[in-house]
Formats: sequence, C-alpha cells, structure tokens
Amino acid sequence: MSPKAQLGGIYPRSEQLIELTRSYDRAKTDLESVKKQVEQDILELIKLQDDSGFETFSDGAFAWQDQLRPIVESLDGVTNGTRYDRWFDTNTFYKKPTIIGKISVRGFEPKNFIRTDLLPRTKNWKVTLPGPYTFSELSENLHYPSQSDLLDAIASAEHEIINKLKDAGVSRFQLSEPCLVYRPYREQALGKAELDSALRAIQKTVDGVQAKFSVHTYFGDATTILTDLLRLPIDTVGFDLFETDYSKLKIETTKKIALGIIDGRESNAENPEWIAETAHRVSKHVTGGDFVLVPNSDLKFVPRKVADVKARALAEATRLFEEGR
Amino acid sequence: MSKLYPVQEIGSLAKPRWRTKGLTQPLSSKDLVEAEEWAKRLDIPDFQDRAKQLLAAQQQNDRVRELLELSTIYGLKLFEQTGLDNVGVGGEQQRVEMYEHVIRGVEGMRVLGHVQSFDYKYFNKAVAESKIHRRHPIYLQEFLDVKENAKGQLKVPITGPYTLIDWSFSGHYSGGRIGLTLKKQKQETKREFLLDFVEQVIRPEIRDLVDAGAEWIQIDEPAITTHPEPADMELFVEGWNETVRGFNCKFSDHTCYPSEIGYKVLAQYAPQLDKCSHLALEFANRDGTSLGVDAKHREGYRDLEYFIQNGYDGEFGVGVVHVHDFSGHVPPSSGKEVGLNILESPELVRDRLLYAAKVVGDPERIWANPDCGLRTRTWDVTFAKLISTVKGAELAREASS
Repeated sequence: MSPKAQLGGIYPRSEQLIELTRSYDRAKTDLESVKKQVEQDILELIKLQDDSGFETFSDGAFAWQDQLRPIVESLDGVTNGTRYDRWFDTNTFYKKPTIIGKISVRGFEPKNFIRTDLLPRTKNWKVTLPGPYTFSELSENLHYPSQSDLLDAIASAEHEIINKLKDAGVSRFQLSEPCLVYRPYREQALGKAELDSALRAIQKTVDGVQAKFSVHTYFGDATTILTDLLRLPIDTVGFDLFETDYSKLKIETTKKIALGIIDGRESNAENPEWIAETAHRVSKHVTGGDFVLVPNSDLKFVPRKVADVKARALAEATRLFEEGR
Repeated sequence: MSKLYPVQEIGSLAKPRWRTKGLTQPLSSKDLVEAEEWAKRLDIPDFQDRAKQLLAAQQQNDRVRELLELSTIYGLKLFEQTGLDNVGVGGEQQRVEMYEHVIRGVEGMRVLGHVQSFDYKYFNKAVAESKIHRRHPIYLQEFLDVKENAKGQLKVPITGPYTLIDWSFSGHYSGGRIGLTLKKQKQETKREFLLDFVEQVIRPEIRDLVDAGAEWIQIDEPAITTHPEPADMELFVEGWNETVRGFNCKFSDHTCYPSEIGYKVLAQYAPQLDKCSHLALEFANRDGTSLGVDAKHREGYRDLEYFIQNGYDGEFGVGVVHVHDFSGHVPPSSGKEVGLNILESPELVRDRLLYAAKVVGDPERIWANPDCGLRTRTWDVTFAKLISTVKGAELAREASS
C-alpha cells in the first residue's frame, strides 16, 4: 500500500543555500546564484519524496522568507513594513503584515508560491498557506473596522489565490491555523463566536474550489476544536501530536486525520517504529477516518540534514503503520 | 548608586572589521587604518606598539589573544568616553555571540547546523548529545582583561540557562520517559536539561567570575518572555534561583522584545527571582517619538506598571534608545533619522526616564540604557546614541532636582 505521508510548509534550506543567501545579503553573490541553488534544493527534496514513496509533493518553499510573505506580496492593501515579530514561541521571526487599505489580489505569480516547473507531473502538488484566521491574527489592522471584516477580506483574497494556484496545477492545499490552538499571547481562550467566525472564513476560503484541503493546527492542543474542524467542507484535519492530549479524543469521522507526529522543533529523529506504534495508538481513538502522517509544523526549525532524516522516517513509518493494521 | 539615572550598557558592540578578520588571517597595515582612526578618537594607549605586535604576530594564537584584548580595550574606551557609569565588559568583543560562544565551551553539546531566524539571517543550533558539562571557563579571560583595563564600574553579562536550553535541541535529555503525554515528556525533558545546564555550566562559571572579583552579573534571558505559560515561567524561576543560590554578588536580569503579554507575565514572576535586584528591559522600541512625560506620549513604557503592581522592588534598567533599524516620524526636538537609524535627542531620553521614574515612583530605582546590545549599529551611531543617553540622564537629573 502506498504510504500516506506528506510534507508541508517551509522546509529548511541546505547549508549551501544558506551560505549563498548570506553572501548575497553581503552583496558578495548575485541573485542568479541564489536562484540556482534554490532550484537545486527543490530538486533534492523532490528526489527525497520520490525515493521515499510520497504521492503528494511539496516543493519545500525554499524561497519563502516567512510563512506569510508570499501572500502579503500578492495583495494590495497590505504592506510588510520593517517590523519583525516572533513566530509563536520559536526563535524565528516573520515580517508583520500591516493592513492599510482594502485587500485585493494583484500581480499574482504562481511561481512565488510553488515551482510547478520543477515538480513531477505524475504526482499531486501541495501548497501550504496560512489560514485566514491565523493571517488576520498575526497582522496589524489599520483599515478594517473590525477583525471580522478583516477576516472576511483575507478569506476572499486567499480564495482567489487558491483558485489561481489550482489553475496552475496544485491539487492539495494545507491551511495552517496555529492561532486556533496557540493562545498564550491572547489572554482569553478562543470563544465560540470567534471560533465560528474563523470557521466561516475557512469555509469561504475553500468554497467551490475543486481541490483537496486540509486544515492543520500546531503549537497548541486541538482537542477542544477538532469536532468543529471536522465539520468543515475539507477532506483532512490535522493536529500537533506533541501538544494535543489524544488520550481524551474520541472521534467519529469519514475524513482523514493528519497526525503531526514528527516534531519540527526537536532534532531527535523519531524512530519509524515509534511513529507507527504511536499512530496505531492514536487510531484507536478514531472511528471511520483514515490517517495521513505529517510533521507537526513546518520543518524549517531544524537544520536540513535533520529534516531529511525525519522526512524519510515518516515515509518508512507509514509503511509500517499500514502493515500493522 | 548615589547619583540619579546612572547609565549602563547592556552588552554587545559591533565587532570592528580588523578584529573579525584578524581572528582567521594575518592582518596588513591597511587593515588597521580604521583601528588607528578610532585609536585617536578613543585615546587608545600604545596603539603604535600594539599595531606592530599585531602585524608581527607569527602564531595565530598570539595574534588572536592580542586582538581580543585590544578590541576589548577599544570597547571599554568607547563606553568610558561616552560617559557611562557602568562599562560592562567593553562590548563583548571576546565572544562569538550570546549563544554559540557558550555552547562552544560545553562538552556534550554539538552544533548541528543553521536554522533560519528571518529572511537571510540564520543561527547555529546545537544539540545535547550526551550529559553536559563545562569544557573550560567561558567568560573568565574576558573579565580578567576587562578588570585590568577598565576604569569604571563593571558588570558581566552572561547568557541565561533558560535561553540557552530553549535555543538548543535537548537530544540526550529527551529519552526514557514513558507513561506521560508527549507534551509532559517535553516539559520534563526541558526541566532536566535546564537544571543540568545550571549545575554543570552556569554555576561553575559564576563561581569563577565571583572568585575573580565580579560584583555584578547580568543574566540575559530573552527567551523567557516568548513562553508566557505558567509551566515555563515556573521553570524559569526554578532555574534562576538555583543559578544564583549561595553567591554573594549583585544579579540582574535582561529581557527584551517580549511577546504581546511577555512583560505582564514576567512581572508576575519577577518578585520570585532570588537576588534579582535589577531588571534591564527594552522599551524604546515600542515607544512613540514625541516628547512628553505622560502616558499618552510614553505608551511604550506602560508595562512598567505591571512590575510595580506585582510588588517588584528592585531597580529598572530602562531601554531609552532603540538598537535596530528604524522607520517612522521623528520630530526635530526628539532626534533625527540617519540612514536606517534613529538618533534620539537627549530630550527624548530625558522624557522617557522621567516617565519611567513617575511610574515606578522613585527615580533612585531608574538606570538608563539602550534597549539591548548595540551590535547591530555602527560605532559612529553607537557613540552618538550613548552620548545622547548620558546627556538625557543629565537632563533628567536636573529636572528631578
């Protein structure tokens, strides 16, 4: 049986690419050399996914400067400014989007999101985008009268971007929504009204698009909202197993559960047997649905060689998991 | 300190090109042109003799030792000339940077590779491959050089154990826990790693520094406000209290660039930090640039209130100048923009100090400092910012008298 493992989000740059980008930053290397190495990094990741038996391919998003940037750069009404904010509780940063006007899509270039020219045509292609709720929560709103208006505008813009990416050949989208579960920056738990508003925005984002969607949460415990997420018109719901206490879960669903089962914030390579065994234990709490094994978050928080080992372990574990069923 | 609004540095200065290049390759007289210019400005003693020694050094070890000592003297002189009351360790010229410098001195830690920080900036991240212990003293030689060459009061900034383990992979410490949720396992791992780091690395280091005469140690813990959950804050307090236990020395905490509620949470736990008699915090970054000593103009300093409300009774090192790139409006009375820098006027520094004193309710508890280390600014900009800080503190003293 084919393994059901997927990568998503930003994959770590190779040491060669890191060296070139640093050199470019010091005006000692030209942009062309950086672009060539980005392509090389993509090809290496494609080979890794191919060799490991993945069916749905990510291109690694090596050129993405942070998880929000390509969206921001595709929109009117949103600027980056110079302010960097911390990406949740990691030691990495993103440029905080500032909403300064009515949001609309402009000058969209699929290549800024995914390098379809390098991906094999025989495989499915996946792009990971920040979900509309997370994007709105991580932005500074200087234009819309309410957060709900902003959320609505972002959902519309992302819907348009997704349609264009679908036209470019992308068949699967992951909407990452860590803000639904990571709450310490907010002083109150996510209330029902806010959750409903977020769910409506996600629904609007995916509405009518003939593609496959997963909504993935990470860096927080998803147990309290999983049932709500499973009602969305999407085929997969994912959560971070390193934060979510699955012992309390009891899920009945026909959808797929994406188990964030390798830890993007720790360097220890999870053993394939451990992954398969743990997935099997979690599966006892789920009736009806199927599983996809994924990293809990982007893997950009570990060095490249660590990520490669983790990605291979994930693929190997899916084989073990299927054999053990 | 008897005088109001004393001025301190926080840590790092940019490293001059001659210092960085000389660490890996022999220098030519051309490389020392910049060093000579600054030698004149800073009145570096025996520059010509030292330059000759540097150029003649055949052995890399000799050259490196000479470079580290000389660049430390430059840093100290820069701080002294700008009029600082506490000159720290001369801008941390003997360190790689705050994380890797320590990690290189720890047996059991291995640098794994680079991780993106933002854009094309990266940091090296290490893993604990086995039980850790200190390989050799990490800050001692720097302190001895500083002690020999400094005229002013000293303070030794060290990277705190919570930050060091938070920025590392726990590796060796991760295994062997069963029957707990994965989240609980991670928390237990973090605690064991932290307490080992304190015991095996940080306490021996502090022991050496105190024995060598250090009277004030600043523990840099930028990571703590990125984890404002109770479990992490309690762990931070436990690690801190274990770190300082039994030492007869002044301790201060430096924390900067917190999350949205970072200072609010830190304020709740600060009174539990044993022997922490001073908190040096970043504020200028979040403040407006208009003059004024009311809450409306000094919005960036409002979080000070939380520390008072929670009963913290120590001093505050108040960040009054920004240390990163700046873009925004600067009224002429508040300073000026030079390239990507804001050069704050003494009047803006004064108002920030006066407002902080008003919130704290006691000017004797207020020190002036940059938000953080100035390593990202050129020496010219650093010089201008520190001069402005010192003048601003003078103006605040006049206004308070």
